[in-house]
Amino acid sequence: MDLFGTILFLICIYTFRHYFFTFNRLFGKQRHPYVDLESASWPEITVLIAAHNEEAVVADIMKALIEADYPKEKMTIIPVNDRSTDGTREIIDAFAEQHPSIEPFHRVGGKAGKAAALKDAMTLVKTEVVLIFDADYIPGKALLRQLVAPFFDPEIGAVMGRVVPLNVGKKCLTRLLDLERSGGYQVDQQARMNLHLVPQYGGTVAGVRKSALQEIGGWNENALAEDTDLTYRLLIAGWKTAYENRAECYEEVPERWPVRVRQITRWAKGHNQAMASYIGRTARCSGLGWFERIDGLLLLGVYLMGPVLLLGWLLAVVLFYTGAQIGGGLTVLALGAFTTLGNFAAFFEIAAAARLDGSRERIRLLPLTLFGFTVSLISVSQAAWQQAYEGTVGNFFGNHELVWDKTERSRTAPVLDDALSPSAPVLRESV
Amino acid sequence: MLPWAPLALTTVTAVLLALPVTPALYELWKRGDASALPTSRHDGRITNFADVLRTRLEPLRPQLECCRSEREVSRTALAGMEILLVGTDNFDFDSRQIQGISTLMFGDVAQIPAGKVVDADVYADGPIELGEGAALRAALGRDDIILGKNSSVLRWLHGEGNVYLRPGSTAYGRLSAGQSIRLERGCAFQHMHAPQILTVDSDDTRALPTSDAHVCQAQKDSEEKAERLVTGDMFTSSRPRLRVEGDFVLPAGETLNANVIATGELHIGRGARLLGSAKSYRDTVIDEDACVHGSIVCGGTLWLGPRTFALGPVMAEFDVLIARGARVGEPDAPTTISSSGANISAGCQLHGTVWARVRGSVEA
Repeated sequence: MDLFGTILFLICIYTFRHYFFTFNRLFGKQRHPYVDLESASWPEITVLIAAHNEEAVVADIMKALIEADYPKEKMTIIPVNDRSTDGTREIIDAFAEQHPSIEPFHRVGGKAGKAAALKDAMTLVKTEVVLIFDADYIPGKALLRQLVAPFFDPEIGAVMGRVVPLNVGKKCLTRLLDLERSGGYQVDQQARMNLHLVPQYGGTVAGVRKSALQEIGGWNENALAEDTDLTYRLLIAGWKTAYENRAECYEEVPERWPVRVRQITRWAKGHNQAMASYIGRTARCSGLGWFERIDGLLLLGVYLMGPVLLLGWLLAVVLFYTGAQIGGGLTVLALGAFTTLGNFAAFFEIAAAARLDGSRERIRLLPLTLFGFTVSLISVSQAAWQQAYEGTVGNFFGNHELVWDKTERSRTAPVLDDALSPSAPVLRESV
Repeated sequence: MLPWAPLALTTVTAVLLALPVTPALYELWKRGDASALPTSRHDGRITNFADVLRTRLEPLRPQLECCRSEREVSRTALAGMEILLVGTDNFDFDSRQIQGISTLMFGDVAQIPAGKVVDADVYADGPIELGEGAALRAALGRDDIILGKNSSVLRWLHGEGNVYLRPGSTAYGRLSAGQSIRLERGCAFQHMHAPQILTVDSDDTRALPTSDAHVCQAQKDSEEKAERLVTGDMFTSSRPRLRVEGDFVLPAGETLNANVIATGELHIGRGARLLGSAKSYRDTVIDEDACVHGSIVCGGTLWLGPRTFALGPVMAEFDVLIARGARVGEPDAPTTISSSGANISAGCQLHGTVWARVRGSVEA
């Protein structure tokens, strides 16, 4: 019963969190403190493009960055070609020949993973502000300024922009992910920004202050989710992460369920790894306010709520058939939240996000997100189980090295017109 | 039990289960809203509206030249817009003549009579002058623009030369100038940008603040100048970060080379110099003659005292109050002041952009 009560309590906490964020976005005061920054002495920046076998997409992002509205003499683009075996290197080199601001970094060995690649690439970075993109992203013209603006705040160590799926109309999955991304960024991230909580650095469409990164020991190449890892190390060291909701950038979301399952499994493992590493330090960190600390802890636990919910359902069935007493009114209330609101709060958040985005018919897909939710629930639970197994039983049979599971791209060719030529890019209408 | 009852029950159950997802399935099939969300295309250029109008009117330039040479007024249509081409100097804004007109295009000076309300955009190759109490929807001038006393522009205003706002005038929306904006007492604004923005007591140019009046002009000495070039870089990684739990005070006359973050209030004393940036979670006070060479980020209300200098940017979540003689930004380093409200005294010199999300005003 105590375990069941704890599970109910946790579910109620997360339910409240979802509703609180959503109501804040719908009715609260919105904070966009850096969005008005138009005129400034813009700093020199380096843009890192993480690329591992990205021949289908890397031309698009380099083309988009070349055309970005940022002082050309203050921008260096470093495509981080991490041991690619396809034509990525040739495409990058072709661009570098035409554009002196592109300084390729071809990584031929070393540890696998994005964090390890970025760590090696940092030796080439000479600027204080570093922006990071994955190769499948297509930044708009004004995006770089929007991501740089928060760094004028001396407390900001990292910046995160908003990710918007580009291939929405391709499959049912992409449409569901579109809604899910809306909920995550439009509501979750912005509410945390509004409330001075813990916006999360997401690893792409993002920026980091070099001195802050150096202060916390650089990229952690052992981290599966280097983004969550960085968020918490910065937080504990007294640096803040800013979220820029209007710094929007297109990305490609998975179009096949197996790819999606692998993606969310990797996120879950990385996030859980960060939770194990930082939950204690976050709880004890004296530089954090109480609300910030609580939010930080809750954010660390989000991927554990999947197995917790499954366990709760299982226990509910067991308790029902064993005829256990479930207590008084408060327990019944909590049980109600567990079986209804607890599950629907996230969907309420998605619906609010769709409304904030001005979406029309796509909100009709909301009931189908239950399917995506179920897949995610099983995937993150499986990931947690694997980690628990590897962390206990697995250790008896030797160390398990973390495996970098790169998300498969669906794009097969550049989507910007003449991406390999120096002319201005135009997004094809068919995309 | 009837033999068809199980089938009926199954069918009804299936229908009831399918009902909530029917709109979803319909949308999946119909794909009515399946395109990617549009991302922000705002490139931060305040003159976007002016640029669009200029481009749109460009094909009418030969007709305007013709009107000017003939000294006549002509009505024409362009892409569904009714446009009045004015080639005379004494156009009287007769209501019947401008009825239904979306844009007035003047070949030379445009003079809007006192008290006249013009529900149209105005373009002029020459200066634009609004009489006392006049109102315009929007204006683009190739020369100077003068807003008379208590006049107003409702959407945007761009002058390629100088823009003068006489006492009590209001520029809602965007206000920009190619050279300078001069605002007299009691003027109101929201979003303005110019290489130089001056708040003045009157039209008397002798009253304008000059660079020489500022304490930080001691930096004109070559040695100081060289130092400023180094210390003025807001993004140098060598500058220490000073984080203070609670209030922070930089004593009068002191110089500090650090980025300061205070979780309480922040106070830069009289004549003090902060060579880095400053952030406070609550109010910030920059006392008279003090300088901040980096940015100022304030979670509350920011007060920039008399003759203070901030290289910028200056960002406050509530109001910014700027006292006489203060200077923000430099001609070769324009910056941004962003706040909910802004109240600026006469005698201030700003360079770049001022954003008052709710309302900005010059002290009456």
